[in-house]
Amino acid sequence: MTELQTRHPPMSVASALPLMRLEQVTKIFGNKLVALRGVDLDIAQGRVHGLLGANGAGKSTLINILSGAFAASSGRIVWKGETVHWSSPKEANTMGVATIHQHIPLVPTLSVLENVFLGDAGHWRRAETLQNRFDDLCKRIGYRLDPNRPVADLSIGQRQMVAIFQALGTGAELIVMDEPTASLATEERELVYRTVRRLSQVDNKAILFVSHFLDEVMALTDCVTVLRDGQTVMRAETSDIDEARIAEAIVGRQLVALERATHRHIASPQGSEEPKLLELRNLASPGELEPISLDVTRGEVLGIAGLLGSGRSELLHAIFGADPSAIGEVRIDGKPVRRSTTAAVRAGLALVPEDRARQGLVPDFEIWRNTTLPALKGVSWLGCLPLRDRERQRAAEGIARLRIKAQSPDVPVSELSGGNAQKVTIAKWLFSDAKVFLLDEPTAGIDVGAKADILLLVRELAAMGRAVIIVSSEFEELLAVSDRILVMRDGRCIAERAADETSEHELMLLAGGQTAAPPDRETMTKSEQP
Amino acid sequence: MTMAELKEHPVTQLDVSAAQPSDDVARNTARGATNSTIDWRRWFGLREMGIYYALLLLVIGLSIVTAYTGRANYLSFLNVTNVLYQSSLTAMMAIAMTVILISGNFDLSVASVAALSAAVLVSLADALGFWPAVLVSMLVATGAGMLNGSIVQLLGINAFIVTLGTLTAIRGVVLIYTDGQSLSAQSPEVIQAMRTFESGRVEVALPLAVVGAALVAGGLFLAWRARQKAVRLAPSAFATILGGLCLVAPLLFGEGQFALPKPIIYMAVYAAAVWFVLTFTTVGRRLYAVGGNPEAARLSGINVVRYKMAAFVLCSATAGFAGVLFASRLRSVNPAALQGAELTVIAAAILGGTSLFGGAGSVIKTIAGALLLFALTNGFNILNLGANYQGLIEGIVVVVAAAIYTVGGSGRRRKT
Repeated sequence: MTELQTRHPPMSVASALPLMRLEQVTKIFGNKLVALRGVDLDIAQGRVHGLLGANGAGKSTLINILSGAFAASSGRIVWKGETVHWSSPKEANTMGVATIHQHIPLVPTLSVLENVFLGDAGHWRRAETLQNRFDDLCKRIGYRLDPNRPVADLSIGQRQMVAIFQALGTGAELIVMDEPTASLATEERELVYRTVRRLSQVDNKAILFVSHFLDEVMALTDCVTVLRDGQTVMRAETSDIDEARIAEAIVGRQLVALERATHRHIASPQGSEEPKLLELRNLASPGELEPISLDVTRGEVLGIAGLLGSGRSELLHAIFGADPSAIGEVRIDGKPVRRSTTAAVRAGLALVPEDRARQGLVPDFEIWRNTTLPALKGVSWLGCLPLRDRERQRAAEGIARLRIKAQSPDVPVSELSGGNAQKVTIAKWLFSDAKVFLLDEPTAGIDVGAKADILLLVRELAAMGRAVIIVSSEFEELLAVSDRILVMRDGRCIAERAADETSEHELMLLAGGQTAAPPDRETMTKSEQP
Repeated sequence: MTMAELKEHPVTQLDVSAAQPSDDVARNTARGATNSTIDWRRWFGLREMGIYYALLLLVIGLSIVTAYTGRANYLSFLNVTNVLYQSSLTAMMAIAMTVILISGNFDLSVASVAALSAAVLVSLADALGFWPAVLVSMLVATGAGMLNGSIVQLLGINAFIVTLGTLTAIRGVVLIYTDGQSLSAQSPEVIQAMRTFESGRVEVALPLAVVGAALVAGGLFLAWRARQKAVRLAPSAFATILGGLCLVAPLLFGEGQFALPKPIIYMAVYAAAVWFVLTFTTVGRRLYAVGGNPEAARLSGINVVRYKMAAFVLCSATAGFAGVLFASRLRSVNPAALQGAELTVIAAAILGGTSLFGGAGSVIKTIAGALLLFALTNGFNILNLGANYQGLIEGIVVVVAAAIYTVGGSGRRRKT
């Protein structure tokens, strides 16, 4: 590993002077939260530079610093040999850095042409000049879009192209692309790849390509930087390394605390003996989820490994009846469940959604009113008059059991920190008679202690005879809690592994690569080292 | 980076995460300190109680001015019941408006629906008799609510746009139905039935005293129990006692006689029922959740569409009932009746602190808002200030109220 990591890249990487160079850039939010703790990065003209890292590794922060949205706390940003301090995205843009964000900020009601030249200075807009400049761009990129169509009518792939046009329209020399292919279909991805190659080779632009997909990084980039916990942990020429090396660098050393908290459980009895609790038959959602059939038994924890956009959340929403366009059958204890969230809750399903603020909590409510929301009947007199004392007591139990850090059940959830708010969304279901728990990224963005609490709870629920389906992009957690792991990619379930027969490494390769072939021995043994 | 640095790495990571919880605890204990005692400044601040202060100030101001200038006593029993009587229809619709605003929707069509219901009642009463006609007009109003709700919820069109459309369209239906003419009830039995339904007073001294005393007793009990259990004293105990006193106090002015016009009774009973449902039942709780975060409510197994539809139906049905009362009061209806009333209704709800974004609102405060608006109008009449200034002052009051809720709200958040 050591030979791959050099503080200063070999001269061959930077053909001459790097276009942009970051030296020990750090970013600290508030007093405590360290997002970046020293990042070095060199981006050279005419090259595609891949940037990788797990969730929370600091990629987005870095991109925000590059694009001028945040100011770095310390360290130097060198642009064409000069130290610069950007205070706004506009400033960065004027100097030649264009950023294409993952959620493409276009104005859907305006036409392609107007969107491309949205940031243009000057008060007069002359249609012909713009049209000429647009034609010019089309020629340079080698892709043709109808300039007069409103952006709302375009597919996501085409919108991505509009964003690329927009970036080029500003005359940028460095283009930062934040997961440009995450939500694209295969042929649309091809288009983005072609464009990226053309821009770097023909137009001599520098491109920082952020991605989760290892195969595309291997195929597309010239060099790669991997971030972990806010630091550069790997810096290499793409031709010198393989996917396995990258995966290893992304994952890094496993957190000991986590391992200890979720001590290995005894492999639970397989399938046939235990009754089936949840059965899926050809459950699908057009365009998002390919038909999937699945059985989950009592006391089983099923992990779903997949990257963003792999259809993992869609699967959970389809099971829960929250996706109105889903088709297929969901059965609990052999009884089919009607396709609505109300029916799902009645049948004993519980969903802890990914976006807790938007989907999980009512911000105006206190902890106690949030925790009792799905199971109001249970705390009500005659089933219709909620008894506040009982509700508060429930919330207090939840606070104690999940170790939520809150003074009392009367604290509004909007005042809780991320991890504690997440625990409230789980506490909501503890007192309902839920039999099947669907947890969507329950540990995202929360601290290690809270993570361990939640993972322990998952095992506890399974021991009580419930079934749990847990989605996570942190595969080490899945390995720690699951009995069985499904790997999803592009809305399909592409592999199924028993948790004790697979490794984080293999999961990473399966979820990030296109091949479902078993990994070679060497990488297997490497990742299994403690 | 060397191997040694790499090894240190997880340690620093754990350090940060360990620091996080302790910070959390510190923050929470700090908050706990203010939580264990009542946050007086919050509960009696402008944001929570502003509408009551404003109403109180206005009433006191008007009484002083009227007394000083030697006009009729503003606080006379006759004048107070007059204000209540005038505001009753609007207050009733404003209560329903509060419900629909809590659910996260909006209904501009209430006044048109009320006018339609009034027109249906007056036109059919002679032929069908009073009560069957009331039934038909209530059905028509409920149908209008179903229509609004279906378009908004099933087609997913913004409620503001839909009800702006139905506001105009239903008014158009009224014009077509009445052929642009004023209608009036002719049959003496119908007129008699209308009179018994709407006019006349009911002696309420005893019920008021009983309810008021019960509220005071209940509040005292709550406070006593909180003390016994050494838990935080809930402001609701004080609110209950205050509410009880507010009900009992006017009896002192009535000299044992306290007869109120029937519409006030209807409004009070309706308000009490809606308040009870919103505050104490699962239905109310879920309605607040639906407005506060529809997605979270849906993923908690609440049938969001049903709740939002029900709010539309309730709103239009209430408007229908208000139309029935309106028609019974005048025993006739003209096609332009109640035009513009929807704005007063919405203004009352906003004055009461109801959020336009859903999830927050209180029936009692909405009534206070309606009373404020009508007390203003009444004050203008008594002081002979003329109707010209009325619109200006009312508008200013609404904007100032909204400003207090917004600025007061963020001010509180800045402090904590």
